[in-house]
Amino acid sequence: MTGVNTEKASLKKNPLGTKRSFTEKKKEALAGYLYISPFFILFAIFGLFPILFSFYLGFHKWNGFGEMEYVGFKNFNLILSDPLFWKSLSNTMIMWILGTLPQLLIGIILAYALNAAIIKYKSIFRVSVFMPYVTSTVAVAIVFGIMFNDQPFGLFNIIIGWFGMDPINWTTSDWGLKIAISTMVFWRWVGYNTIIYLAGLQAIPSELYEAATIDGASTRQKIQYITIPMLKPIIILTVFTSTIGALQLFTEPLIMVGRTYREEGLTVVLYLYREAFNNMAFGTASATAIILFLIIVVLSSINVFIANRIGK
Amino acid sequence: MKKFVSMLTAGALALSLVGCSDSNEKASSGKSGSDEKVTLDFWVFGSTGYQKLIDEYQKDHPNVKIKLNEGELNDMHNNLFTSISAGSGAPDIAMIEVSQMEKFKEASERFYNLKEYGADEYEKNFLDWKWQQGQSVDGSFQMGFPTDIGPTAMFYRTDVLEAAGLPTKPEELSAKLNTWEDFYEMAKTVKEKTGKPMSDSPELVFNALRDQQSEHYFNEKDELIIQESVKDAYDYTAKMIQEGLVGKNSLWTPEWGSAMADGSYAVMPGAPAWMMGVVKGNAPDAGGKWSLTNIPEGAGNWGGSFLTVPKESKHPEEAVEFISWLTSPESQLKSFNDMGLFPSTPDVYENEDFLGTTDEYFSGQPTAKIFAEAAKSVKPVYMGKNYAIVNTEILTALTNVATKKADPEKEWNKAVERIEKQIGRQ
Amino acid sequence: MKSQSSRQFISKAFLYSILVIATLLSIFPFYWMFVMATNTNEVINRIPPAILPGKELVANFTKVLNTIDFFGAMWNTFIVASITTIGVLILSSLAGFAFAKLHFKGKNALFVMILVTMIIPPQLGLIPQYIIISKLNWLSDFKAIIVPGLIDAFGIFWMRQYISSNVPDELIEAAKIDGCSIFRVYWNITVPIIIPAFATLAIIKFMYVWNDFLWPLVVLRDEESQTIQVALRGLIDNYVRDNGMILSGTFWATVPLVIIFLLFNRLFISSLTEGAVK
Repeated sequence: MTGVNTEKASLKKNPLGTKRSFTEKKKEALAGYLYISPFFILFAIFGLFPILFSFYLGFHKWNGFGEMEYVGFKNFNLILSDPLFWKSLSNTMIMWILGTLPQLLIGIILAYALNAAIIKYKSIFRVSVFMPYVTSTVAVAIVFGIMFNDQPFGLFNIIIGWFGMDPINWTTSDWGLKIAISTMVFWRWVGYNTIIYLAGLQAIPSELYEAATIDGASTRQKIQYITIPMLKPIIILTVFTSTIGALQLFTEPLIMVGRTYREEGLTVVLYLYREAFNNMAFGTASATAIILFLIIVVLSSINVFIANRIGK
Repeated sequence: MKKFVSMLTAGALALSLVGCSDSNEKASSGKSGSDEKVTLDFWVFGSTGYQKLIDEYQKDHPNVKIKLNEGELNDMHNNLFTSISAGSGAPDIAMIEVSQMEKFKEASERFYNLKEYGADEYEKNFLDWKWQQGQSVDGSFQMGFPTDIGPTAMFYRTDVLEAAGLPTKPEELSAKLNTWEDFYEMAKTVKEKTGKPMSDSPELVFNALRDQQSEHYFNEKDELIIQESVKDAYDYTAKMIQEGLVGKNSLWTPEWGSAMADGSYAVMPGAPAWMMGVVKGNAPDAGGKWSLTNIPEGAGNWGGSFLTVPKESKHPEEAVEFISWLTSPESQLKSFNDMGLFPSTPDVYENEDFLGTTDEYFSGQPTAKIFAEAAKSVKPVYMGKNYAIVNTEILTALTNVATKKADPEKEWNKAVERIEKQIGRQ
Repeated sequence: MKSQSSRQFISKAFLYSILVIATLLSIFPFYWMFVMATNTNEVINRIPPAILPGKELVANFTKVLNTIDFFGAMWNTFIVASITTIGVLILSSLAGFAFAKLHFKGKNALFVMILVTMIIPPQLGLIPQYIIISKLNWLSDFKAIIVPGLIDAFGIFWMRQYISSNVPDELIEAAKIDGCSIFRVYWNITVPIIIPAFATLAIIKFMYVWNDFLWPLVVLRDEESQTIQVALRGLIDNYVRDNGMILSGTFWATVPLVIIFLLFNRLFISSLTEGAVK
């Protein structure tokens, strides 16, 4: 398994010693495969079959019960020519910008504040900020349903009233629904990202900051030259996972529009879910999943590329 | 490594392919002697109170053990769908709600035809329209035994009608509401005198009108016929909305619940028997301010269920015996007294105790009698597997008319377009 | 000197106000949940809604206990979540360590494959996944949740990122020269450094399993095997919904999570102070 190429590369990069015998290298490679094998084995059993099944279904017509009928690329044509699919895609993008991107920014700020040496009662703040992540969807549905009430007495209508705005029909208007869903996404996930950033920040040795302080660096400089570069691997991780999460947005819109499937709040995954389990069109649903998969591959590549540039 | 992965994949695939076919074989082997101890898995949703009846049944049938599994309505149907689709894991008896029935009829070969287990003998127990809902279009395949039903009546606020100078006695009110034209005129009076809308929810008005049609969204050939069948109901509702006679609340929202307590509208047309519990829950202090009467031009049905026996069951005879007992007039009367499940067996409607049921909350009205009358007048209707798709889209159109002041005609056309698109892909 | 302390005061005030605002916004819905868990349906739907706790605290929770096996389901959830979490910590850290510090052929390609698995929308996999579980005869068995739950691409990604930036190559090299085996390098050198990463992943995974309901709903059919989120679904009646009771159940199911979070959090902090000594 180990060829000449590997040998050369290992001489350059491998941290486990430079002068090593063939068996040691082989041992290391073996250990590497061994350590990552559980994932691939489990995935092969529980993950791969569903994926192959979806790809297979994408070219078939199936109602969940009867025979499958091969239809070629017809499902893809149907989806790509459906204005509602494009609407759901643009909804997803808008909610990504409204709900997910702010999460990352606010998450870093909160993590920074939680990590500051001068702050006391950190565990209380930590629990509080993380709490929304542990809420069950049933509870969220009830609580947010009441907050985003269409009536002038609904909490959010009262709040926008303070700014002199008229009450909004949160559950039916184009922007109202998107803002409501994005607010929920933001509320549920900001703490999650904060905790991840916090772990990254905690790992930065305090000596670095101390040295910078002695050299007379300002807080801004410390953030720019120590915090951001040290945090980069974690930032890439969160950008990647939250992009995927945003494009697979499902639970929150289901809470808001699950009964009506109103197009103002339809996301791509909700669209495919309705296709499959409501309309019993598993073929077009699978085709949608494949299209979404390709979109995510492209977007997350762009994302990681950009994130890699930042802080360089 | 690669080889290993592909081996595993192949294994998983083979495993699943084998799985799809074996369910029928298993089922056919199930001829069990009467002494043998039999366990029946029984899935229901919501609060049925069936455990009590099961205990009673088990006492008389010591060889049968029934394992009741209660879930949430959508969860239970989704689980059943997954099991039926995968060919394993379905129970011996599954309760299916009427709105989900057509979907599962698509897979009727995965259920026992109850006719082969003596269903005909029980047919006379049930209301015709309800019995027909549980079978195939040509009536040759009986998929389920009827349980409860949801006949509809008109709920009204006596205080609001009084303020509008209108009669508050059910008979007098009903006499003034012979047609939907009368309803419209009364709505204008209510609006004029009290400033309140006649009703708060477009859905309930539309449903009441729709349920009086002999055909709803599809004919028996599964052709979309909404233009002929329910367009008038839609237009009527839209007109009421535009003139401010019907509000914009969606069902199950907090504002819809609190409006029940506030008395911010006059009537709730087309509300089923189980809605009494919803009203009481949302407006516990409004006792005596609510009452019931007939809907102009006739009643409909909303909700109710069937008991089915999936093919996976190894004990279809025991299962059918149990469900025929559970849906008998005697058992249904018990369910009514216990949990308020409205019986689908007209025999019960003759029962003195049943007819004597009154409710102080609803101004002392004989509630059971009113809903029993309604139940007898319901017209049988073919729903079709895509009923829910059409219903959701029409509702979206009406909601847009109500909340966005959209043009009803344009919304209707958009709804038709969306419906055709979705149906075209199946 | 003076300007520095006043500057510190300003930044302290600034940080505190950020945290207090964030806390209030995060906690408010919980407070409201509590308020509704102590009220009747009528009060919950009233407009404007109640903002003070009501008197139904005990009554609502008693209804919950009468309707579902609350404590049994909590115990099931605890077992399932604990085993899954421990398993994921071990598997993810081993794989993350391999990806970050070991050299083997095809490493990058394999890592990208793991990332790609995250991209697949899971909603459609329900039926085929169910087929596999039912063929394994794992319906209503905790294994149906635990074993697929061990597949955690995020955990591997997270561990790889954390290990690659926080475990110095020199340290590993030194250990290697001392004659440590690869597993010892992982166990004696890497693990102690990445305790905070363990704590974070543990919190995230544990909470995820605790709150997941789509999958458990499909595979846990018997009432004896249900997790708390599945059991709580049983509080939702067909047509007549008692929101006070539903929220009472959800509220009390959340309380243990706060305690568990605080425990993990302690681990998180103590490990850091230890680490500082090195």
